Amino acid sequence: MLKYVNTGIVFQEIPDEVTLAINISGCPCRCPGCHSQYLWEDVGVPLTTDAIDEFVAKNGKDITCIAFMGGDAEPRRINRLAQYIHEEYPHLKVGWYSGRMRVAQEVNKDDFDYIKIGPYLQHLGPLNKPTTNQRLYRNTHDDSWEDITSRFWKK
Amino acid sequence: MEISNFTITKRDGSKDSFSLDKIMNAIVKAFESVDEPADLGTISKIISHLDIKDDIKVEDIQNQVEEALMKEGHFKVAKSFMLYRQAHTEDRETLAKLQFLSDYCESVNAATGSKYDANANVEHKNIATLIGELPKSNFIRLNRRLLTDRIKKMYGKELADEYIDKLTHHFIYKNDETSLANYCASITMYPWLIGGTLSIGGNSTAPTNLKSFAGGFINMVFMVSSMLSGACATPEFLMYMNYFIGKEYGKDYYKRAEEQADLSLKKRTIDKVITDYFEQIVYSLNQPTGARNYQAVFWNVAYYDKYYFQSIFGEFYFPDGSQPDWEGLSWLQKRFMKWFNRERTKTLLTFPVETMALLTDENGEPKDEEWGDFTAEMYAEGHSFFTYMSDNADSLSSCCRLRNEITDNGFSYTLGAGGVSTGSKSVLTINLNRCIQRAVNDGKDYLEELGKVIDLCHKVQMAYNENLKDLQEHGMLPLFDAGYINIGRQYLTIGINGLVEAAEFMGLKITPNDEYKKFVQGILGLIEKYNKQYRTKEVMFNCEMIPAENVGVKHAKWDREDGYFVPRDCYNSYFYVVEDDSLSIIDKFKLHGAPYIEHLTGGSALHMNLEEHLTKQQYAQLLKVAAQEGCNYFTFNIPNTVCNDCGHIDKRYLHECPKCGSKNIDYMTRIIGYLKRISNFSQPRQEEAARRFYATA
Repeated sequence: MLKYVNTGIVFQEIPDEVTLAINISGCPCRCPGCHSQYLWEDVGVPLTTDAIDEFVAKNGKDITCIAFMGGDAEPRRINRLAQYIHEEYPHLKVGWYSGRMRVAQEVNKDDFDYIKIGPYLQHLGPLNKPTTNQRLYRNTHDDSWEDITSRFWKK
Repeated sequence: MEISNFTITKRDGSKDSFSLDKIMNAIVKAFESVDEPADLGTISKIISHLDIKDDIKVEDIQNQVEEALMKEGHFKVAKSFMLYRQAHTEDRETLAKLQFLSDYCESVNAATGSKYDANANVEHKNIATLIGELPKSNFIRLNRRLLTDRIKKMYGKELADEYIDKLTHHFIYKNDETSLANYCASITMYPWLIGGTLSIGGNSTAPTNLKSFAGGFINMVFMVSSMLSGACATPEFLMYMNYFIGKEYGKDYYKRAEEQADLSLKKRTIDKVITDYFEQIVYSLNQPTGARNYQAVFWNVAYYDKYYFQSIFGEFYFPDGSQPDWEGLSWLQKRFMKWFNRERTKTLLTFPVETMALLTDENGEPKDEEWGDFTAEMYAEGHSFFTYMSDNADSLSSCCRLRNEITDNGFSYTLGAGGVSTGSKSVLTINLNRCIQRAVNDGKDYLEELGKVIDLCHKVQMAYNENLKDLQEHGMLPLFDAGYINIGRQYLTIGINGLVEAAEFMGLKITPNDEYKKFVQGILGLIEKYNKQYRTKEVMFNCEMIPAENVGVKHAKWDREDGYFVPRDCYNSYFYVVEDDSLSIIDKFKLHGAPYIEHLTGGSALHMNLEEHLTKQQYAQLLKVAAQEGCNYFTFNIPNTVCNDCGHIDKRYLHECPKCGSKNIDYMTRIIGYLKRISNFSQPRQEEAARRFYATA
């Protein structure tokens, strides 16, 4: 069962969007030097469609995107929730921050508008360092994904 | 009387042991000064009248001596004794001033050194600012006297005493008590356009071309500001400038901005001529001003989208019978904003404070797409300004935070540009935290008790209004007489401070929740009820959450000293807690949204503190959020970094200079309304700025 610890309204994680980020626990990646180690343990409350409904009831009019931060332990479940959001709330985009090297085979990428992949590797740095190994892709919805990682570097 | 080991309390509050010799000496001296014999019998008789208790104050002993001298029939001696006391009081006052003078010279900056009215709008500390500080205590006394005399006449002595009692016990606070002038105004410059500054005591005639407009405008704003204690807003500034540029270079000048405009060797283009005038005006008005204790004039301007503009100036006519040209003004507004934003990377320019007025459609989207888009673009470019959004053109701001409803936009040749003339005559602030705690601790209904304080404030404001009318009748207020300000469209403002702290005392959570909302509405609704009750044909009231640059700090200090619950060193000027990092940006918009601000007719500007700039798309979405939540007045505040070593100014919030790498840096921020260096704010305010939570966007 996916669980989440907290949520936040964020601006940097997904460029140009006002995003509700859901911080999901039980992260199996456990990257050395991870800045969110509090998400390694199996803590928090279940992330269900009811929880999504609640978030949208509270902030749905004000946000443009919902992003799952983590959830690599159950990628299919994340996929289902992404589908659910697109079906119930078509005005919202869906993003996923995954720590894996590639998106799991069983996931239908087209259910997402943004996907970040790549573990955190200390010597290569986080997304806002041009040396990073992590990549953020935007679904162009015409069968291709645009690498928009460089948006984090422009200052 | 019996002599025992008494202690007396001296004027500075310290204790000393009681000495009968000192009293006898003073009495003997008083007799000698009028050549009357003072034998032991006479002196003993006088002393026998004294009733000395432990810890008695020196003043009380002296009062008793006076009475005793009179009782014994030594009237001449008593008079001499009184005169002696008076001379010493005056000496002590001069000594206190000397002490203040040397403390002021030693203080770290002008705002911290100021005893009565700390204000970061004074950048330097020098002889000119000191001259401004010294008479402040006298102004306070004078203002209190003027008001209490009037209150006595209108409502009786009891109410006058009540006012002083509530004031000295910090239940209420009179803003700008150190000045004699009315507070702030959004002026129409129409009288100036027609007749120059002659009617307000100046010597310049009406502007006739771009050059005389620019020069005359600066002088006019200086003159107007010297007759106000707060801000001067000129919502027609760019509209008039557009008119004069059009007269000079043709109405379509903006289409030919790159054409050469002058024959000098510099070969300036029309655009360069225009931005040179921006430079002249803006830099001149940011100068410290002699007539205002070295404070710069507090200058505000407004930008409009097409619909707001039409609504306010649709019926406006220039003296030549022409109407303002929107296309030209639209270009000029954008040019000014872009220029000003760039200029701010060269120099720390505080003024003008800018407000963007946008009309929204039924979906909460900016009605004028082009200007909604431009607003988001300017925020994304790092420009810092206020936005006022409404579904009808109902308000203008007269300073960086106070919005004033405009009742009638109609243009008339005699009154000038209708709705733009508004403002606040005077602000009287209620310390909600103290009022509510006092009522609750006394086991009383806090709304009922608060009602009494609110009622008192309205009466005091009515009295203030009578004094103002009196000044006007004596020709002391030419701004009103000449039509720059319409007295009938000026508000008397009830300020509030300590709202969040009072809610915390009541055990409420400061988040968007029903109990807090109910609490806020209960209090603000009550104030509005009185505002309506006291409204007449000639007086209007509004209610404002004051920025409390120095009052927020003072209230916290006084309340703490008197044993009240005080959760922070500076009371909030927002509906949320500035240092709370658990509230999201959207929560803050909600807390400044319609349910909270609906009774706050004088406004409260949400300062959305962010650590990093957002993208244009994100700002555009936040404008929508603001409209949806009904938050009509806000700004985004990202501290700008200023390098103390190389002088580089950066729009970002950085911890070291990106140019020279120095860590000796300062920040420009809006702690309260206007953009200033943090090091210019008073010490306690700087501490508040350090605690403030900047959302890591």
